[in-house]
Amino acid sequence: MTQLLLFNVTNGLIIGAFYALMALGLSLILNLSNVINFAHGGFLVIGGYLAYTITPYVGFWGALLIAPVLTAVIGLAVEGVLIRPLYGRDPLYSLLMTFGLAFIIEDGTRFIWGAQGKPVTIPPFLARPLSHELFFITGYRIFMVVTVTIAVALIFALLRYTRLGIRIRAATLDLEMVAAMGVNVRILRSLNFAAGIYLAGLAGALAAGQLGLEPTMGTGLLMPSFIAIIIGGVGSLTGTLIGGLLIGVASGVTAVFAPAASEAVMYVLMAFILLARPRGLLGEEGMMT
Amino acid sequence: MATPYSSRRFDRRSVLKGAAGLGALGVASPFVIAARADTPIRIGMIDPLTGVYAAVAQNEVIGAKLAVDQINAAGGVLGRPLELLVEDSANDVGTGVQKARKLIDRDQVSFLIGDVNSGVAQAIAQVSNEKKILHIVSGGHTDSITGPDCKWNVYRVCNTTTMEANSVCSLLFKQYGKKWHFITPDYAFGHTLQKAAAVDLAKLGGTVTGNELTPLGTTDFSAYLIKAQAASPDVIVVLPQGSDMVNCLKQIVQFGLNQQIHVAGLQQELESLEAMPPEARIGIWMFEWYWKQPGIPGVDKFVADIRKVNNGKVPTARNWFGYASVHTLAGVANQQKTIDSVALAKALGNFELPPEIKLQPNKCYYRPGDHQLMTSAFVGEAQSGGAGDPEDLFRVDHVIAGDETAPPEDATGCKIQWPA
Repeated sequence: MTQLLLFNVTNGLIIGAFYALMALGLSLILNLSNVINFAHGGFLVIGGYLAYTITPYVGFWGALLIAPVLTAVIGLAVEGVLIRPLYGRDPLYSLLMTFGLAFIIEDGTRFIWGAQGKPVTIPPFLARPLSHELFFITGYRIFMVVTVTIAVALIFALLRYTRLGIRIRAATLDLEMVAAMGVNVRILRSLNFAAGIYLAGLAGALAAGQLGLEPTMGTGLLMPSFIAIIIGGVGSLTGTLIGGLLIGVASGVTAVFAPAASEAVMYVLMAFILLARPRGLLGEEGMMT
Repeated sequence: MATPYSSRRFDRRSVLKGAAGLGALGVASPFVIAARADTPIRIGMIDPLTGVYAAVAQNEVIGAKLAVDQINAAGGVLGRPLELLVEDSANDVGTGVQKARKLIDRDQVSFLIGDVNSGVAQAIAQVSNEKKILHIVSGGHTDSITGPDCKWNVYRVCNTTTMEANSVCSLLFKQYGKKWHFITPDYAFGHTLQKAAAVDLAKLGGTVTGNELTPLGTTDFSAYLIKAQAASPDVIVVLPQGSDMVNCLKQIVQFGLNQQIHVAGLQQELESLEAMPPEARIGIWMFEWYWKQPGIPGVDKFVADIRKVNNGKVPTARNWFGYASVHTLAGVANQQKTIDSVALAKALGNFELPPEIKLQPNKCYYRPGDHQLMTSAFVGEAQSGGAGDPEDLFRVDHVIAGDETAPPEDATGCKIQWPA
């Protein structure tokens, strides 16, 4: 039983890392632009399908590099045309807009690539498990965790050490003041949105290798990401990261005892944390109110 | 002053009016008659065109549309054309019910077909029964639809979950072993399929090492697979369908579990096999219909017809479900010369599908006692790639008649109550 539990904790951390990647993109956009991006799962799907489409021309590794960038470019266009006009309004407007956009992306994907799932082949050396006993740790899953770790480290470094990152952080705290100091907030928001969508595109390209492709795959991954943000605390990227890992582990451990409840446990955990600490684990009091 | 005769006399105005009236009648009559003949007979079709079952649902619609086109080209039903109205249930019971009411109340459909999702199919059946509309469940497999919850107006084309289990369990037991661990989708279809397989396994003398209930739409099966592996079964029996099954099998192969434990399942579909990488196409399964049947009349033509309307792709069992459902309705209506649901529902008992519609070697007919189509099971093994055709992803070893896989009518729990 102990071994089973340890296996599931490790497995939960692997899944949690993936949730965290999705959630970080969501969190970036939410913190600066106050947009609850319900279409984030849709951008994940776009990233996956773009990777699938360009793989025959640029190979697996090329697709992994290019597809997230292409997704971010699409995100940039969407932000400019659909999201930007709503910045001055109640967040409910952008929420409804992205909610509708999620359906449009799902149906658009189905229209372009078909309703039938698409198989994605990964390099053979990544497809093997680590060992007979640790069968659930495959080369590809390790690769995913490493990629997520690098992406998260880069995002944190960008926010901490670059001029752009410092401005994003400052604008998250006080947008008006940053604008008053002469920073072009419009460009800042666009770049920040593109960075968030880049993470969604990267998650999609990674998920394609793990899960295959299906127009609805984003929906199933979106809710855990929202929960990760709420648990970690709105406004805190570190909190989001912890939230993602936490729900992954909780889900994995619950699967040992009550498999059918392994999804519900995320919501239960969220409810408990909201009751005990409404701002989330590392959230700042008063955010999003 | 007018005399009694004068009142009967045709004056100029009356003659003119009469002539105009006759002329108008002469012109209008063909329209009236033509309008009656051209008024289409509407069939409502509800399937989850979006969501995890979108691929199979869309294939049912393609099959149904092909049947409608063929029937209309051959003169329609009772001289009237057929019209197919398709609605999306989105895998949601509430939406399915709402669409059923809309099709019946507003669009005035004469018949109903659907749904892929067993739970939605059951809910729609309640509505069709309340509205007294003949309804064919094309692709929802849970036993109770033609079991304890059967209705006088509801017939089913696809197999029941028990028929599926009965077709393949003994072979699995013989070839793979006696300790089975189930991965089961957590809704009506999965529950009855697992139960039927567990009953068969118990009869054969085997044991169930565990049953992992997975929510519909599960993307990561690793936690369930860790548990399954720890239970050391002989076989992992994969019961989820659609993209859930694709994900589950893909992860099993990535983890190398298929090197340690046999992997198989009951119901398999071409849509799922095509969505998997070649290495994940493994194990013994049953298909409900397969496109490669050398020597069976009508199959080659059906394959060619579907290829024409579906971007060159071969037909799947779902194409056949939609096709057979529409042809059943048209065939029985033309035979009985009515579209009255009660009369047709009575006539469908023992109604046999002709060779060009059944497209399989065994007799294919609707049982009067439970309204279930006795259709064959195509049992065999998934293959990584087709030798002659890239879509030939299954090797059929046995074609078992529906009469051999279905329990007796009186054992299904179905008691049909006909309307007074």
